[in-house]
Amino acid sequence: MAAEREAKHAGEGGIELPSPTPWPLLAAFGMTLGFAGLVTHPIVSMVGGVCFLFGGVGWWREVLPVAHEIEVPLAAPARRARLVEPVPETVDHLELGEGGHRMRLPTHVFPLSAGIRGGIAGGIAMAALAELYGLLVHQSLWYPVNLLSAAAIPSLANASTEQLAQFSTEGLLVGVIVHVLFSLLVGLLYAVMLPMFPRHPAILGGIVAPLLWTGLLWTSLGVINPALNERIAWGWFAASQLAFGLAAGFVVSKMERIATLQSAAFAIRAGLELQYDEEGKE
Amino acid sequence: MTAIDGSVLPAEAAARTSFWIRAHEWATTVDHKRLGLLYISSGLVFFLIAGLEASAIRAQLAFANNDLIGPNTFNRLMTVHGTTMVFFVGMPIFFGFGNYLIPLMIGARDLAFPRLNAFGYWLFLFGGLLFYFSWIGGDGLYGTGTAPDVGWFAYSPLTSPAFSPGNSTDYWILGIMVAGFGSTATALNFVATILCMRCPGMTLGKMPLFVWMMLVNGFLVLVALTPLTAAQVMLLFDRFLDSHFFDTQAGGSAVLWQHFFWVFGHPEVYILILPAFAVASEVTPVFSRKPIFGYEIMVAATTGIGFISLGVWAHHMFTVGLSGPVNTFFTASTMAIAVPTGIKIFNWLGTMWGGRIRLRMPMLWVCAFLFEFVIAGLTGVMLAVVPFDWQLSDSYFVVAHFHFVLIGGLLYNIFAGIYYWFPKATGKMLSERLGRWHFWVFVAGFNVTFGTMHFQGLLGMPRRIYTYDPGRGWDLLNLITSLGVILQAIGILFFLVNVLWSLRRGEDAGQDPWDAWTLEWSTTSPPPAYNFEKIPVVQSRRPLWDLKHPNDPDWRYE
Repeated sequence: MAAEREAKHAGEGGIELPSPTPWPLLAAFGMTLGFAGLVTHPIVSMVGGVCFLFGGVGWWREVLPVAHEIEVPLAAPARRARLVEPVPETVDHLELGEGGHRMRLPTHVFPLSAGIRGGIAGGIAMAALAELYGLLVHQSLWYPVNLLSAAAIPSLANASTEQLAQFSTEGLLVGVIVHVLFSLLVGLLYAVMLPMFPRHPAILGGIVAPLLWTGLLWTSLGVINPALNERIAWGWFAASQLAFGLAAGFVVSKMERIATLQSAAFAIRAGLELQYDEEGKE
Repeated sequence: MTAIDGSVLPAEAAARTSFWIRAHEWATTVDHKRLGLLYISSGLVFFLIAGLEASAIRAQLAFANNDLIGPNTFNRLMTVHGTTMVFFVGMPIFFGFGNYLIPLMIGARDLAFPRLNAFGYWLFLFGGLLFYFSWIGGDGLYGTGTAPDVGWFAYSPLTSPAFSPGNSTDYWILGIMVAGFGSTATALNFVATILCMRCPGMTLGKMPLFVWMMLVNGFLVLVALTPLTAAQVMLLFDRFLDSHFFDTQAGGSAVLWQHFFWVFGHPEVYILILPAFAVASEVTPVFSRKPIFGYEIMVAATTGIGFISLGVWAHHMFTVGLSGPVNTFFTASTMAIAVPTGIKIFNWLGTMWGGRIRLRMPMLWVCAFLFEFVIAGLTGVMLAVVPFDWQLSDSYFVVAHFHFVLIGGLLYNIFAGIYYWFPKATGKMLSERLGRWHFWVFVAGFNVTFGTMHFQGLLGMPRRIYTYDPGRGWDLLNLITSLGVILQAIGILFFLVNVLWSLRRGEDAGQDPWDAWTLEWSTTSPPPAYNFEKIPVVQSRRPLWDLKHPNDPDWRYE
């Protein structure tokens, strides 16, 4: 219907548009004066009211029963918009993987299960090294566990080295929960992050990331938790971080990658439509 | 000479088109383009006035124990400057952009309610004039006071008749309220137009990002402005009818006013900044020669900002003494809003990455905006931390922060938008040479002024003081801050000269000077009254790209 109307108008050489009108101006002026009277003189409000009334009635009659319109003639042909011309040059598209480039990040990712497995492997490697530190330096399996728990348990934070070497149910419980939880979360982080560093994932995930994390903690732990900072053996700490990184990175990178839906339309990614392959399979 | 319909008038007829006839045409117009230009030009006039007020403020603060301006005048200048910049500069200029561009971008002939559009503009203008009339008419019926002096947020109980006699505060209430009715009308128009008047083929997913952001902005105006109007009516009742909404000595609550004001006030920041984002989202791809990176995510981030911005207001009130959980909630929500905002920054960078960047004037402003806005965002996150806020609230650090948001974010994109669409609106290009002078001098001045201000704040200088004693470590910093204003003023002078010179002698722009992709560039510059001879049909987000590259249209990939 609208298209027919457009064609009709185009054929007649004119297009209907709303006609200019003074009533909105008058109504706005009246409304403003109406309020201005509150701070000047009641007469101003009365004048404003009259203006608003006239403006409103005029406006009403402008649009009812049929809105007033004017027919605007089309501009002279020489002044009309030019048709948009095709440009001669062609557009080169970067193919996926061409010249070592990636068109979208990332095209393949690890499944979440890879992150969980990597987290478990990293957690075991880290715990093993931490326990080795406890046995060799403090002759105690419980020292590293209690030290980890001390960040969350005030009584352990204030405990002596001898007390930290003793078994604590509370310390074991909190230490295991914290260690398992963080190992899984960092494992998942590895699964998400490693596809974004496709060239040297082992170096980045296994070595660089743990060293960066260690450096960050080394510089900031003195402010965050001075008591804990005094007890940490930074050499062993860095080694255990590296053990986590290498083990988690190795396990994650050995898992099979799955393609993302990056190239699919938004409706498919949002789950509003299904994606079918060339054979029509979902 | 061109008539309203874009046709050429004979010379004799053109000669008869006197000033008064043209004035009548503009006064009675309901054309969205003319109203857009009226909004923008009125906003720019208010901008110059607010700039002069700011210059007077900085002149007073340049030296310790200065007596150039007295305390009362200082309070008035400060109040009127802040109010003007928010309500009579930022909002109308972007309403002007929206007015001019939304119908052109969605392939419509006008906004949904053209007469309401005119009504909205005139309400804004008359509201502004009423507000400024306070400088000469502030005595009102009671014979005391002149311009408002209660700060742009007009905290209670300062606004009660006991502390604010006369009508100065009433002018603040009424001027903003009248303009606010106009803003509501315009926002309603934007929403209705965008939802109902898109050309065939333009689904929501194919709308230009500018239009998307103006849509969210329209909703935000409708939701956020009404509480302010309600609170202003309550304040009027307090002042005229002796009610006690905000009268703490009669069972009212001063904190209630703060909640009402900031439940509007913080979304207002996003009402101002979303259109700025909208401009950046159009300029960046065109001048990077790439489609926008992450269109859907940009839309999601925009709507995310719209929602979250309604839940962050009390971070303006940390020093009131809210409870711990409330502080925690508003800290978290304030930090959360940095996420969608950060996504936008990354997407603009992602658009530039690997593109063939053309550093023409619009793009220069957008690049500068990215730098300044990241700084603004970082200081914003710092102020979201309650203990930090307790130290620096009401200091010049906060003043520096919000000027980085509103100048580095908002004004830079206003300039970007003007340089980008001026050729479309006038048919003339702005001078690049003058534009670069404008850019570099203004950006240098801005950073000298507001970069320095962070340090006064860190050294404990409170905002709103009209003078200070020497030897507190603020003297040199204040002088530097004020000198930066001179640079900014020179930059603005270059801009004004550029606009006036280019209107008369600028290079002809042609239909599509930037080789751009949205629909407004498919019609003449300036466009005829009816915008398009035939309503366009689009198939992708870049309809002009499709026409220019029929062998490789975008719709294949969207």
